[in-house]
Amino acid sequence: MLLEVGNLRTTFRTEDGPVTAVNGLSFGLGAGETLGIVGESGSGKSVTALSIMRLLARNAAVTADRIAFNGEDLQAKSESEMRRIRGYKIAMIFQDPMTSLNPVLTIGEQIAEAVRLHLGADKREARERAIEMLHKVRIPLPEKRLGDYPHQFSGGMRQRVMIAMALSCNPQLLIADEPTTALDVTIQAQVLELMNDLQRETGAAIILITHDLGVVAEFCKNVLVMYGGNLVEYSTAEQIFSEPRMPYTQGLLASLPRLDDTEHRRLEPIQGQPPNLLRLPPGCAFAPRCAYRMPICDQPVPLYDFGQGHVARCYLYDERARDQRPVTAQALPTVGHL
Amino acid sequence: MTSNGALLEVKDLFKYFPIYAGLTSRHVADVRAVDGVSFTIEEGETLGLVGESGSGKTTIGRLLLRLLPVTKGSILFENQDVLALGRAQLRRLRRSMQIIFQDPFASLNPRMSIGTIISEPLRIHGLATGKAIDARVRELLELVGLQPYHANRYPHEFSGGQRQRVGVARALAVSPKFIVCDEPVSALDVSIQAQVINLLEDLQAKFKLTYLFIAHDLSVVRHISTRVAVMYVGKIVELADRDALYLNPLHPYTQALLSAIPIPDPVLEKRRKRIVLTGDIPSPVNPPAGCRFHTRCPVAFERCVAEEPPLREYAPGHFAACHWVEEHGGRGPELVSVVK
Repeated sequence: MLLEVGNLRTTFRTEDGPVTAVNGLSFGLGAGETLGIVGESGSGKSVTALSIMRLLARNAAVTADRIAFNGEDLQAKSESEMRRIRGYKIAMIFQDPMTSLNPVLTIGEQIAEAVRLHLGADKREARERAIEMLHKVRIPLPEKRLGDYPHQFSGGMRQRVMIAMALSCNPQLLIADEPTTALDVTIQAQVLELMNDLQRETGAAIILITHDLGVVAEFCKNVLVMYGGNLVEYSTAEQIFSEPRMPYTQGLLASLPRLDDTEHRRLEPIQGQPPNLLRLPPGCAFAPRCAYRMPICDQPVPLYDFGQGHVARCYLYDERARDQRPVTAQALPTVGHL
Repeated sequence: MTSNGALLEVKDLFKYFPIYAGLTSRHVADVRAVDGVSFTIEEGETLGLVGESGSGKTTIGRLLLRLLPVTKGSILFENQDVLALGRAQLRRLRRSMQIIFQDPFASLNPRMSIGTIISEPLRIHGLATGKAIDARVRELLELVGLQPYHANRYPHEFSGGQRQRVGVARALAVSPKFIVCDEPVSALDVSIQAQVINLLEDLQAKFKLTYLFIAHDLSVVRHISTRVAVMYVGKIVELADRDALYLNPLHPYTQALLSAIPIPDPVLEKRRKRIVLTGDIPSPVNPPAGCRFHTRCPVAFERCVAEEPPLREYAPGHFAACHWVEEHGGRGPELVSVVK
């Protein structure tokens, strides 16, 4: 395992009380793997990444049974050790490249900084590496553009510069947080293709955080669905899209208009509103919106194992809840939990 | 009604935003946001208007309501010349034409209660007074799936989806015929998007509303539209019935755009081919000569650089602006099978 996360819990102190952004999340990621983390705003997907990277502000309290990268405990690292990992072994790119690039430094200086810091390259080597990386992300005339500032690039190009910077030290893991959300679709296609090519070349593992199920279907091997700060379903992309088990995942897919819908079907929205993180229910966070809600859903829900790594957090598949099931769910199988 | 039965008829519409520079604020150039656009909208239909950032789609919506002054062109609404109207007449027109904005956080005044927000158009247009206002506000809240007691609350107490419902209620308050929906679901989470889309569809059926639905999400546009217009850097490059546009797109830009949208189905995604356009969207300040798409077009030839292609009808109701299509007897270049 390249990355192992066990029982991650991140709470923010706020004026209104503690906000639980991540609520006991566990997952693992193998070397070279591509994992999509999907969920809506407030589901905890970005906070998960920032918790692992230890990039959260002081009002955040992060606890976990385990956060291990290459078997090393990241929680035990000192701040200076973490700095040597960030941008080197684990790189991250964000949604808005304009706010993550330094506006008063040329992009050449920004790429070179990481290379000199982490790889110990001298000035000339760092410059050559920056040119090489810009060339890789298909910025035309890299030698010339090296001296340009971020505002002189378009949004798509800035995101490619971010990718160049992130990959300049050959990281083992790239965390991309909504990397294409701010981009137009034709530019999104360019960026995704580029990430795909570079991954094939470097063998880096990628965690792609997104709310766009289409991007996940195109890009990811495995998918982790988050709701209310925790994993509610995990499997291969094929399984998640063809046989979603958790009613929330099912609801997401049914509520989505698709480009290839030839018949006009009525969308089936998920009723209600996303959960209030100040007052998460004790049991299933999705229960208040769930069409299959049962009395047992008020208790903490374990993960149910559907085989081949497919797990879902839902009592519908529990033997004990068989007699509580609504009529429409009578025929579902029951499986064991973890 | 206009002569051809359309509710709204737009002809040769232009909107240039001037750029001033230097000490004397000299007029140096224009952002050609809308650069000669014509279309009609039939009563009861939804015209989808799609394009990437900077294509001019939002500007068109604002021009129709005269929220922005038009540089040149004509807009007829029910045979009435919208651009010739005086202040009082314009106010009356806005009872028939309303708009729903993209950002439900920026488009509601945070200091006003929901009831005040929704009743403001009623007061401005003198449509109700006293108790009748409260009754109408309650009715509107229920119509959009909110509760009557929500009238006393403030925007910050609502989620994005609920706020967008308030925006819809405000637009409906004056019983309009025509609503410009400017990216009404783009800021919403997926599970909430569907709620608002269904609401818009239900209201359209109930009140026989006509929509201009502006969006960059082509999946949503396919779902809701009767006809779809595709814009690129200030111009319409293709306009057709929904199914014709999605199943048989003629313009290479439309084909590339459709192929670029990932479909939430990994099995299908593995089979799909994608046209990845090179380069960036050109600036509307200095758009390329000839066809504006020629700098990124995989099938461009000499004529495309020299001459601007007109929007021509290649099949009944199916318009495209492309020299390649014209020289190939009204066929598209078939760069990829777009959907399946």
